[in-house]
Amino acid sequence: MKVSLSWLKRFVDFEYSSSELADKLTMQGFESEVVTDFSALDNIVVGEVKSAEKHADADKLKVCTVTDGKDSYNVVCGAPNVDKGQKIVFAKVGAILAGDFKIGKAKIRGVESFGMICSERELGISEEHDGIMVLDNSCEVGAKIDTILGETYDAIDVEVTPDKAFALSHRGIAREIAAMSGSKLKTPIEVSKIASKGKDVVKIVLDKKGGCTRYIAGTMKNLTVGPSPKWLGDYLKSAGQKSINNLVDISNFMLLEIGHPTHVFDLSKLAKPTIEVKWAKKGEKFDALDEESYKLDTDHLVITDSVNTIALAGIIGGRDSAVSDSTTEVLIESAYFDPVVIRKGSKKLNLLSEASRRFERGADPEATLEAFYMIVGLMTEIAGGTLESLITDESTMDTTLHKVSLSEDKLLKYTGQEIDHKSVSSILNGLYIDHDKSKTGWDCIIPSFRHDVKHETDLIEEVLRCYGYENIKSSYSFSSQMQYANDEEQPLFELKQYLSSLGFNQCYNNSLQDIEEVKAFGINPVSVMNPSSERMNTLRTTLHRGLLENLDFNFKNGSADTLIYEHGTVFEKKGDTLKDIDQVSNFSCLVHGNFYEKNVHFNDVESNFFLLKGIATNAFETLTKAKVKFIKDENSYCDVFYRIVDNKKNTVGSIGVIANSFLDKLDIAHKTDVCVMDINTTFFTEHFNHSVKVKDVILYPAVNRDLNFKLDSTANLGEVCSTMKSVNQSILQDVWPVDIYQSKKEKDKKNVLFKLSFQNVKKTLEDNDVNSIIAEIISIVTKKFNAKLRDN
Amino acid sequence: MSLDNTIKEIQTSFHSDLSNCNTTTDLENIRITYLGRKGKITILFDDFVKLPGSEKPKYGKTLNVLKIELTTAFNQKLNELNPDKGGSNDSSADFSLPGYDLPKGSLHPLEQITSEIKSIFQSIGFSVAYGPEIDDDYHNFEALNVPKHHPARDMQDTFFIDPNTVLRTHTSNVQIHLMENQDPPIRHICCGRVFRNEAVSYKSFCLFNQVEGLVINESSSFAEMKGTLEYFVEEMFGKGTKMRFRPSYFPFTEPSAEVDIWNDKLNQWMEILGCGMVNPNVLTNVGYDNKKYQGFAFGMGIERIAMIKYGIKDIRLFYQNDKRFLEQF
Repeated sequence: MKVSLSWLKRFVDFEYSSSELADKLTMQGFESEVVTDFSALDNIVVGEVKSAEKHADADKLKVCTVTDGKDSYNVVCGAPNVDKGQKIVFAKVGAILAGDFKIGKAKIRGVESFGMICSERELGISEEHDGIMVLDNSCEVGAKIDTILGETYDAIDVEVTPDKAFALSHRGIAREIAAMSGSKLKTPIEVSKIASKGKDVVKIVLDKKGGCTRYIAGTMKNLTVGPSPKWLGDYLKSAGQKSINNLVDISNFMLLEIGHPTHVFDLSKLAKPTIEVKWAKKGEKFDALDEESYKLDTDHLVITDSVNTIALAGIIGGRDSAVSDSTTEVLIESAYFDPVVIRKGSKKLNLLSEASRRFERGADPEATLEAFYMIVGLMTEIAGGTLESLITDESTMDTTLHKVSLSEDKLLKYTGQEIDHKSVSSILNGLYIDHDKSKTGWDCIIPSFRHDVKHETDLIEEVLRCYGYENIKSSYSFSSQMQYANDEEQPLFELKQYLSSLGFNQCYNNSLQDIEEVKAFGINPVSVMNPSSERMNTLRTTLHRGLLENLDFNFKNGSADTLIYEHGTVFEKKGDTLKDIDQVSNFSCLVHGNFYEKNVHFNDVESNFFLLKGIATNAFETLTKAKVKFIKDENSYCDVFYRIVDNKKNTVGSIGVIANSFLDKLDIAHKTDVCVMDINTTFFTEHFNHSVKVKDVILYPAVNRDLNFKLDSTANLGEVCSTMKSVNQSILQDVWPVDIYQSKKEKDKKNVLFKLSFQNVKKTLEDNDVNSIIAEIISIVTKKFNAKLRDN
Repeated sequence: MSLDNTIKEIQTSFHSDLSNCNTTTDLENIRITYLGRKGKITILFDDFVKLPGSEKPKYGKTLNVLKIELTTAFNQKLNELNPDKGGSNDSSADFSLPGYDLPKGSLHPLEQITSEIKSIFQSIGFSVAYGPEIDDDYHNFEALNVPKHHPARDMQDTFFIDPNTVLRTHTSNVQIHLMENQDPPIRHICCGRVFRNEAVSYKSFCLFNQVEGLVINESSSFAEMKGTLEYFVEEMFGKGTKMRFRPSYFPFTEPSAEVDIWNDKLNQWMEILGCGMVNPNVLTNVGYDNKKYQGFAFGMGIERIAMIKYGIKDIRLFYQNDKRFLEQF
């Protein structure tokens, strides 16, 4: 909300500059920023146009002579309204205008120009840019501009949070300033109950189902519509409002003055001087003031003249009943509408107005009559009208003021420090909260504009924010409540550190993706009802989609070698209710390209299936103590797919090589196999750092033997190794295939060199201990795999 | 013949054979004679196995030294005879060559910040809780004192799965679940992804990460909240960081505050977290006695902190996963 300092001064005297005021309000709960601060503008002064001649080479330009009282300057100006004798805002060379626009010397169509005559937009006052701003003739030429404009246009932008409806006006903000500075709030417009000159009667019918609990109406005649007086136009402009005509401006002024929205209808355009507040018919069409047509629903509250809908209650007036240049008589509405009704109505049409903003947050019921009389008063004064009807005040509202007690004990316990009684009392006074000091605290009567104060804690908040949060001393007494701090995801953090230290980059991908792409992964997805874009309308069912996108992105940006992983939630829809949505924590890795590029030390090392297999083996063994195995399985988008299982056959993860056809379908750039690994996060967290039982280190030397077999080229070496291991479990410690050679002549065979390592816990091995086992291995492998032992 | 003599003899004859050797065929014969599976060295090791235990340590070492010596000399000769092969071995002599080009792994910046925040709060006894990203309207809004048709809902534009199910707009839903399942005292932080239906730009994304904290017991006050968060800010941003608490509004806390820290470079305050005393309505909603219990809650956006800390100007960078970006962390 743009708040004008000059307007605030109608209500309260203060000496703060714009930025001081913004700081003070910020520290009292109203985040504020300076919008226009003329004191910061240098080289801008009041100038006088001494002459204005048509530019010889351009129809729309004028060459002016401008004086700042001392010197004269040649200035080329394009504004149609510039004229000789005007007092204007003159920005000299070197001035910096709104939006960091720096004025320099220029040559325009051959004529040199030294400075600029400013429009309101260039000064940050309004959006007005059709012509230059013309100052009052009384302004002194050469005066610094802040002394002229600052007085009228200095303004700050105040953010009013949804709970503080009472501050949505200049009076509301002024009340806060008065409270903080201890000064008194002034009453610029005295409300006088003007008596009616005529005997017209406005009939008001309120719907019994609620929605409107108070409606005040009256008619005025003999009005002269026309431009607003300068003071009114200036106030509106200083708060960022455009002046329209005196009748409309008065209603808008009242809204920004005291925060109560009112509406003015052209009486001659109403069928009858009868107001019926009722619910709209389903599908009813309503033409609003904003030139839009709205389709209403049965929960929209409307105002009718018993024949036609003339306003959407509390939100916007109708086009057909609007005040125009020929209006001479009006019906004035000042009402109180139910916040929830206004909120629903405006949300449904996506139509927010200054009025709806105030009603949905809760207007001041007491301001209804006040606003009505203020409008009548101003219209009489400015537009020369007379009140012609009796005032109808239809109300079903309970206006009893709310009582809330604040106990000393609670205030102390909540704050953690004592606040002296005098301070509490003076804060409550400043906020217009009547109170009596009781033995245990304060009994408060809440004013009608503070309906947000309902509970004791609401009062505590008021006291603390006015006392100043900075004045409450921090307490570090929390050590007494320390407890054992647990984080169930810590094991996954260790896994992340493990992978990242191996060279993996952790990724964070968007959970919202394109449904078409999500569907390709074959899991039923959860979609969003109101996506912000079609490319983000569905929740991810797997982390693979995001990782593939990262591969594609980086490949296209010059890095094909990819080692990435992500940990996050994926979603699967299994039914129509919330509990049928699976929300699972997933952990996926993706590798592609080379782990090492060829270099002076060694050749390429590929990031492939075996890298992931090695990582899985190692990560599970070091971090969870599980010895894992890999079991062949199938997957809809992987050519090769293995489940990772622990020794109890639990599936603890999987590794797959993604099918090329699938990568092509998703249009993922790649040059080698793309391999993915998933780790079951539940297993991992549950088994992390599983208690280690230390085995004795074998002190006796190992005996290594090599066996070179000729095998069928189709032989599965993993199986050969485990067959060998199964021959002896006690001293045969390990079997590794170390070399595979396939001769071009014998393509159906391959020669494989196995390294066998023997070690005995209790003694140094003798040749004979090993020989018999070797013999048995040779015999079994030869038979089972159709192998032949080769001599090396 | 003693083992010592045998070793000497093998050593001498190997070196003389090697110096006389001029062809790769000869060299292969030397390999078979000395280093092959039935070579002299291998036999020596077999003999070694039969030695009495007391002599083993001494000869074990001698034999290993011998084997290394012979293998090295052999490889050298192999290189001499095959200058094209084994080129890689040549690199070992030039120590000015670059080291292995190891891949530059990294934890995502948001992970790093989250983990840093977690450990600061863990150090003062906060446990970490997690909860669902899709939740019902009740846990995300109503239980937190944000009724339907309340203007405060505008503060958080919401993605809906159905009219009663939302993508959580904050991790506060976890606090409700926590309190529903556990009696006070509560001393927890919750962290995770939250979603806001906002246009994607350099300063806002459709989701971000949050860490929120909750302390409920019989005595935790506004003053203690200030102390706790001051401790956090000093740990996170450095001792002596200038900060301020200013009044604000959140439906679930009262009084509410926002915390700003002073940014010297930009010469302005920067908002980093919101906090407040838990609204008694929230305590009632989870079945706590709000006369007996009180406490405070706070919350912050990880992206925002990461942007301040690392000088990142575009929030979308966190979700693009550009290797050139990630490798810097």
